Amino acid sequence: MCLNTNDIAPNPSHFEDSEETATPAHRDIAWNDYKDLIKGMRFFDPHIHMVSRTTDDYQAMHQAGIVALIEPAFWVGQPRTGLSSFKDYYSSLVGWERFRSSQFGIKHYCTMGLNSREANNEPLAEQVMEILPLYIYKEGVVGVGEIGFDDQTPAEEKYYRLQLELAKKAKLPVQIHTPHRDKKKGTERSMAIALEHGIDPSWVIVDHNNEETVKSVLDKGFWAAFTIYPFTKMGNERMVKVVEQYGPERIMVNSAADWGISDPLAIPKTAALMKMRGISDETIRLVTYQNAIDAFGKSGQIDVTDFESGYAIDHTEKFHGNSILRGGQQPVPAKDSLVIN
Amino acid sequence: MSDIIKQNLWDIIVLNTSESEAEWLQNRAASSRMDLMTAFVAAPRFLSKKIIFINQDQQFALNAEIPGFSVEGWSLVRLARVWLLTQLDPSDKEDYVKDIETLFDTAEMNELVALYAALPVLSYPDQWLFRATDAVRSNMGFVFDAIALHNPYPEKHFSELAWNQLVLKTIFNDKPIHFIEGLDNRANEKLAMTLSDFAHERWAAGRSVPAQVWRLAGRFMNTTLLADMQHLFDSEQVDDRKAAALACNDSSLAPAHYLLAKYIDLEKSVKSGALAWADLEH
Ligand SMILES: [Zn+2]
Repeated sequence: MCLNTNDIAPNPSHFEDSEETATPAHRDIAWNDYKDLIKGMRFFDPHIHMVSRTTDDYQAMHQAGIVALIEPAFWVGQPRTGLSSFKDYYSSLVGWERFRSSQFGIKHYCTMGLNSREANNEPLAEQVMEILPLYIYKEGVVGVGEIGFDDQTPAEEKYYRLQLELAKKAKLPVQIHTPHRDKKKGTERSMAIALEHGIDPSWVIVDHNNEETVKSVLDKGFWAAFTIYPFTKMGNERMVKVVEQYGPERIMVNSAADWGISDPLAIPKTAALMKMRGISDETIRLVTYQNAIDAFGKSGQIDVTDFESGYAIDHTEKFHGNSILRGGQQPVPAKDSLVIN
Repeated sequence: MSDIIKQNLWDIIVLNTSESEAEWLQNRAASSRMDLMTAFVAAPRFLSKKIIFINQDQQFALNAEIPGFSVEGWSLVRLARVWLLTQLDPSDKEDYVKDIETLFDTAEMNELVALYAALPVLSYPDQWLFRATDAVRSNMGFVFDAIALHNPYPEKHFSELAWNQLVLKTIFNDKPIHFIEGLDNRANEKLAMTLSDFAHERWAAGRSVPAQVWRLAGRFMNTTLLADMQHLFDSEQVDDRKAAALACNDSSLAPAHYLLAKYIDLEKSVKSGALAWADLEH
């Protein structure tokens, strides 16, 4: 998630490694040729920043079978200068963005938190903590997140701990962002502190894992989330290998798509790749849908009846001809047509 | 706001909650301001998701206290939120306004709906005028509906300009204007003329306007509107012809009645009362 604007410009990704040569993911296989493999599957993206995405993304996601998503509160790319911009941002996550998503037939949830990078602005962080309770109890807020470490400073630790307590009091899951630099140590430290605060690891989703961190995360009883982000270490071919090695238990995939070069279809594409590589439908269902619902559903805020029926069938049918759009959803324009109606 | 309205709302809540839900609400109402505000936010986590039941007497009592105020069709959460707002102590105006403003600033859509629905029962009604006109500008349909439809606040407090915006946007969004409280009371000539302009734009685009909107025109009939009436009488839509007949009948202008007299059947049903605006309310 995106705390690394100051790093190398071309790939402002969750995982970028400046010394790594960028190689595009999905280079051999055309998505269009393989998307039929996942026809009828439903997906849940537990980490995606829709404020940075377009209506085209929403339509493509809907068509690819994404029925629900979680938008964690994050760093918007430049520092916020006052409490009001935090308020406006948090409000947009439960207000306009949630509404916008519903217009495209995708159920929108979010997690609320003070991100680690901005925890370092202590006077502002202090004010944010005062209004955060008004946000975490809102309908559809499924966790406190994404919180954790970036530079692993004392201020980051202070606000991470305070927010763990907030999550405990509100009986909400915790979505942990693990740092890009010194990831292994940062991940271990994040987990140790959560345990120190008496938080049940089955209530904690540790995000942005890789092959180096996954074993320890699973062994300790936490959920291990993997972010599929282009040009980075965690491409979806390696994701397939992780699932082959560890199985589906407590593992979930997300796109963490944001304002960087990222892919809102990371989950359906990874599912298609898994299918090609012979991974069972049930395993695919667990890591691209059900596990996220089980983990974040502990909040009591996810009612699967809001999205599980109605999206499983062919949605394009519903948008056709003169049929009535459900709940005032946005019609899909004919993008190939010169004439705009 | 009056203690009677608080009690009225509570009586409805009692009929729609379990014992533990009612107890939770009363505990929250008796706690600190911040806890009360958090309860406003957290209500859906503690109350069942359902539409409330209300009997005739209760609706009558609400109306007697605040004409046009209704909770019919509300969810229990919305009703509870509005009731919690009535429990905020208004004696210190500065604190009270600040707390309500904070709730507005931090609100998600359902909270906004509750806040706008609560405007008629909040203290210091003039303080919320900017918020209320802002809701008319909202792109979120539910928020717009909360201020525009079944809400007596705009009729009482909106300027003519703000009122006309509200009515026009309701028409523009193809929502039923007969759900606007005070529609007839606040009809005005400017609104009738803007409506005419709007209809011309729609007609030019090959589209139509809902027939019942012409109820806003009758009392302000002039040559422009008379030409619109002729256009409606010539329409293939039967509702348009009915609207023209009704609007002409509402007018005190002689030419309007001459025009109406050309359409004998319509004239007869309007004059006899067999045809009324209510027939076009859909
Ligand atoms: Zn992120």
